[in-house]
Amino acid sequence: MTSARDEILGTLRKSLAAGDPRTLRRLEELRSRIQNSEPQVQPRFDDDLLTRFCQKHVTVHGTYDRISGDGIEAAMVRYLAGLGLDAQWHLGSGPLLDETHWTDQVFVYRKGADKDTKVALSEAFAAVAETGTLVLCSGPAVPSSQNFLPDDHVIIVDGRRIVRHMEDAWAMLRDSGAASGRAINLITGPSKTGDIEQTIQYGAHGPRRLHVLIVEQT
Amino acid sequence: MSASTSSQRVEFQERARQALSDVSLQRAMAKARGGFVDHRRDAVDALPEFDAIRDAARDIKDHVLANLDGYLELYEQKVIENGGQVHWARDADEACRIVAKICKDAEAKTVTKGKSMVSEEIHLNPVLEAAGMTVVETDLGEYIVQLAGETPSHIIAPAVHKTREQITDLFHEHHSPLGYTDRVTQREALVNEARSVLRERFVAADVGITGANFLVAETGANVIVTNEGNGDLTSCLPRVHIVTAGIEKVIPSLDDLSVLLRVLARSATGQEFSAYTSLYSGPRRTDEMEGPEAYHVVLLDNGRSRLLGGQYQPMLRCIRCGACLNHCPVYGAIGGHAYGWVYSGPMGSVLTPLLNGFDQAMDLPNACTLNGRCKEVCPVRIPLSDLLLKHRLEQHDRRLNTNFGRFLLSAWAWLARRPRLYQGVMALPLWLMHRLGKRRGVLSRLPGLGGWTDSRDFPIPARRSFLRQWHTHKARS
Repeated sequence: MTSARDEILGTLRKSLAAGDPRTLRRLEELRSRIQNSEPQVQPRFDDDLLTRFCQKHVTVHGTYDRISGDGIEAAMVRYLAGLGLDAQWHLGSGPLLDETHWTDQVFVYRKGADKDTKVALSEAFAAVAETGTLVLCSGPAVPSSQNFLPDDHVIIVDGRRIVRHMEDAWAMLRDSGAASGRAINLITGPSKTGDIEQTIQYGAHGPRRLHVLIVEQT
Repeated sequence: MSASTSSQRVEFQERARQALSDVSLQRAMAKARGGFVDHRRDAVDALPEFDAIRDAARDIKDHVLANLDGYLELYEQKVIENGGQVHWARDADEACRIVAKICKDAEAKTVTKGKSMVSEEIHLNPVLEAAGMTVVETDLGEYIVQLAGETPSHIIAPAVHKTREQITDLFHEHHSPLGYTDRVTQREALVNEARSVLRERFVAADVGITGANFLVAETGANVIVTNEGNGDLTSCLPRVHIVTAGIEKVIPSLDDLSVLLRVLARSATGQEFSAYTSLYSGPRRTDEMEGPEAYHVVLLDNGRSRLLGGQYQPMLRCIRCGACLNHCPVYGAIGGHAYGWVYSGPMGSVLTPLLNGFDQAMDLPNACTLNGRCKEVCPVRIPLSDLLLKHRLEQHDRRLNTNFGRFLLSAWAWLARRPRLYQGVMALPLWLMHRLGKRRGVLSRLPGLGGWTDSRDFPIPARRSFLRQWHTHKARS
């Protein structure tokens, strides 16, 4: 009996009139198109990257704070106090977060989020100015559950890692070997739904609020 | 004409008639009408490159379809490299068997689902339920229709046909036993209640099943686009993640993905970008503390491979955005359920006969005014209304339409090929209709055309045909 795989591929080849089984050469052609793939038509904009990112991020109901590298803890405490929340959170990992020394004024949990998690602080791999999007990659110390279970998600991003277009973020991912990582989450604003009467409600299943800390190097 | 054809025809017409007189449905559809259209237009107006990006999106899809076998193989290789497994399913039954076996082998009790049109297409839920599993839809719209025991009536807004009052009743009925005894009526409270009920399901789930907006051959990722985050909780939390996707979903590279994402959200909801666009590539890596232990992709053919190389191939470009539904006056009037299968609106009317055969969908290609808005708004430029015409032609060629319909068409064709006679014959009804309606400017009754005049007036034609006026005009000058 032919396997479903062979039968489906067989029908495809017959329908495409590709004739005899595809030669290895043709697969190589397709592979090389992938490897040499380049950005195609992109939306043009002239704003500087930081301005554009912030503007787009606010449009999708996000908030942000521009801080310096040594102000992360203070910015977190300030933000959470504004919401009436305690200074404790689940903590992700990344170049900025790993270097941060936390005082004993705050509690951080270095583990995945659970269904009752209130706050998580993650570090973005990069951010995309075009759409106000944050790019988060899973990793050994980066549980992606932190992106979706907390009520409040705070994402820290190195201001120098804000890129113009989505394709620029793909290029960074390829260079760092993270393009095939288990999870790449592009996050643009808090969770929302329009499923009841086509009216937007925030906090559907994921975070109700999304706050970004942009670290500017001085 | 076979018996099943005639019964199906009656069913569609009956369902459409019921839909038109269903007060709740009409209220819900009236609320939705316009919103999607306006939002899309605003998003498109704000992007001068939109048409160029649409061309690029169409070209990418065409390139993939012309090399579909090769890209599927490359994609499969990548998934395996990432530690995942790829399964191939010729039809719905085979796909259901594969998914059910994976779930059984994982000793699954609770299965959560992100929104997947393919899982609707193969009718997966009853199969898993028959095997003793609890299946929970987690997209809020899908969850609502699941509670109602219905199917989605729209690709991206499954519960568009439900009013808030109906949702209130459903939640009250199904959530009371779980301790949510207060009857909540406000949108925010309804969303919160569903959030809290479904959260328990997310963490209890053994298997998560999602669809895929795209499969990227470059990295072996399945891409899901959502606003709620439910697809992500379904992908990340359970022990096993299963992706169900049609074979046409594969695309070459991440750069191609960018092009398609730029048209997808704008066409679907009028957003520049949805809240969550996620790429999942395989199971938990050895150094990771979370993520599924196993990752499976089920690639479904179900008639798609037959469409390649033929006149309907452009339909395989479809990225399931729902724009054609939102812009279709017929869909807007009768909603999705009247179409009788999972895919509705213009894309459904093209696809259903192709995948299921005409005997399941005789009326669908004819339930169209050929206004062409679907074709105009399609992000991958599928000539939907042209494909519907091809269906009609095929029905005629295969003698599937009614004898009376065939007789009328033949008579008209005979007449239309004789211009002089045609003009002579048409002059009389023109003159008559003009005389009858002259006083009111419209005709409110036409013998034999009650289907038209029962619900609207017929505008009176000019007294003399355009050609006659043209000849007179020419003679004068």
